[in-house]
Amino acid sequence: MNMFIEQLLNGVAVGAIYALITLGLALVYGVLRILHVAHAAIYTAGAYVGLFVYRATGSIPLATLAAMAVCGVLGILIERAVYSPLLKYPPYVPLISSIAMFLGFQELFRLLAGPYIIAFNARLPLSDAFIGHVRISAPILIIYVTSTLVLIALWLLLYRTEIGLAIRATSQDRAIASTMGMDARSLISLTFFIGSAVAAIAGILVGMHYNQVYPTMGTVPAYKSLALIVVGGLGSLPGAVFASLLLGVLETLLIGYANVPLPRDSLAFIAMIAVLLWRPQGLFGRKGGR
Amino acid sequence: MSRLLRTMVPLVLLVAVLMPAAAQNTIKIGMLVPLTGSAAADGTSALNSVKIALEQVNAAGGVLGKKVELVYYDDQADAKQAVALAQKLIDQDKVTAFVAGSYSLPSRAVAPLFQEAEIPLIAAYAIHPDVTKAGDFCFRNGFLGFVEGRAAAYTAHKLLGAKTVALLTSDNDFGRTLVTGFKEYVTKYGSGLRIVAELTYPMSETDYKAYLTKIKEANPDVIFASGYYFQTGPMLRQARELGIKAKILGEEGADSPKLVEIAGEAAEGFYIVTNFDRDDPRPIVQDFLKEYRSRYKIEPDMVGASAYDAFMILIDAIKQAGSTNTKRIRDNIARLKNFNGLTGIITGFNEIGEVVKPVQVQVVKNGLFRHFGVVNDPALIQP
Repeated sequence: MNMFIEQLLNGVAVGAIYALITLGLALVYGVLRILHVAHAAIYTAGAYVGLFVYRATGSIPLATLAAMAVCGVLGILIERAVYSPLLKYPPYVPLISSIAMFLGFQELFRLLAGPYIIAFNARLPLSDAFIGHVRISAPILIIYVTSTLVLIALWLLLYRTEIGLAIRATSQDRAIASTMGMDARSLISLTFFIGSAVAAIAGILVGMHYNQVYPTMGTVPAYKSLALIVVGGLGSLPGAVFASLLLGVLETLLIGYANVPLPRDSLAFIAMIAVLLWRPQGLFGRKGGR
Repeated sequence: MSRLLRTMVPLVLLVAVLMPAAAQNTIKIGMLVPLTGSAAADGTSALNSVKIALEQVNAAGGVLGKKVELVYYDDQADAKQAVALAQKLIDQDKVTAFVAGSYSLPSRAVAPLFQEAEIPLIAAYAIHPDVTKAGDFCFRNGFLGFVEGRAAAYTAHKLLGAKTVALLTSDNDFGRTLVTGFKEYVTKYGSGLRIVAELTYPMSETDYKAYLTKIKEANPDVIFASGYYFQTGPMLRQARELGIKAKILGEEGADSPKLVEIAGEAAEGFYIVTNFDRDDPRPIVQDFLKEYRSRYKIEPDMVGASAYDAFMILIDAIKQAGSTNTKRIRDNIARLKNFNGLTGIITGFNEIGEVVKPVQVQVVKNGLFRHFGVVNDPALIQP
């Protein structure tokens, strides 16, 4: 039983990290209807900025803030410089440019930081927690605390403020939101900023947790988060979070109890295919599409 | 004037054509190494080590009265890239011998080309059995998975005194042959040694907690954890985070200073079976270590040491052959006996070109790989 609970805790931690990466993608899809593959490059940039600021200052809060700011601005730049001029073309045009940017960024990271894996050795003042006989290790605890805080903050922002209401309105129907006096342009930029800043947090968490930052660390998240927003229902934020947590747990239990050397990453795609076949609007999507 | 020009131009062209042939007063050794991409750290280590070997050879007057020249290219650990570059080494650079300083995928792709061209090849650390199967011109200075698997089982059984062991290995060719070798030892010699858990993880894995939680339940004395340093590094950390106290034993894939950087304190007391002993007192080893550390400001590793040996064995064979006749060089590699190498006293190569030499056991102490033991039982190290 203890083993089952420990596996469950491991799985939720993996899922929470997926959720932080996937949320930004779902947000962007909501306002622009673009599959933002380069989001995974922003996540990698977050890990690098966090690592270098941490090395320079020795402060994780400072490193996190710096990474959030840099990535947020990077997100806005990508939107303004690349997506905005391409929106008039069919959706595959921004998608292809997004893939190109993702690959370009990977090479840029390699040129700037070198091809090596760099260790992100940060000690945080947290110790293992025990619930009965079940032990939650400090690194997992950090993931729980951080992701819970981020999710609460995002929920408050989107569902309890006027700006949040405006973002949600824009994502439902940009034309109508604009005629109602909302500044779609700034709202889109704000959405990119928020999504990218959250991706930066995810990058730092992953970098610290696995103690490695490297140019291609965004590859798996790039395609897995695409599968996850499809499973959750394109553009649905609760759907993205739910699908991420579910996948994290399923992957972990599959390894823990079946031990098929099936790459855990394939599960996301099996889920995506199943969803497309039987519930194309996604787990949390509304029928009839948008 | 124009008549002069008309006679000069062909003359200049003729000289230009003849020049490369006339300039062949060096002996060229070719090498492919990954210098960019995910394998860059290993490729750089191999190249840096061979550069030291090259300087030593040339400082001692070269070979056959000629200077040795190293022609190397970056294959990005990519088979397609490697094939094109190997063709260039063979046709354009006309190398006399070749050090395969890259991973298995590119090395097994180029081996048939060098075999076809009858140019001797020594693989430094590529592990796939197919590399030497390309033919009699192909040799390997690294260990096969079977050998290292048997050596790992011996280490767990005899040197670490384990009664129970869990296997956590990568799902690729090397991981599988390691397991085969490990189990072969357990059936033949491992009385009192029991495998209590056996798990495999896909190459792309980064989070090992699900596997380790299951191993924790089985509570083994020793965990044999195979994988590269970027896999075993996080594995070690996560094992200790989960409160696993078992001794952990890895293999040569973890033999890199990067392992200690990634695993941090969790690396302390981590054992590996590998191809290099840093505490070997022979001058060849200690001089190399000193030179490497002062030049590159990083700890040398197995990959580099094995590439150094591959280069030196080729030079030695050219010297023995007394010419650049590649067939005679090949014969002299095959005849090699008790060679004083960086990776140990190399007994020689067997009939399929696999190296026979003792397997080294190292342990991490204060952040450095140190001597722990050696496996030299002929029954275990014979490929």
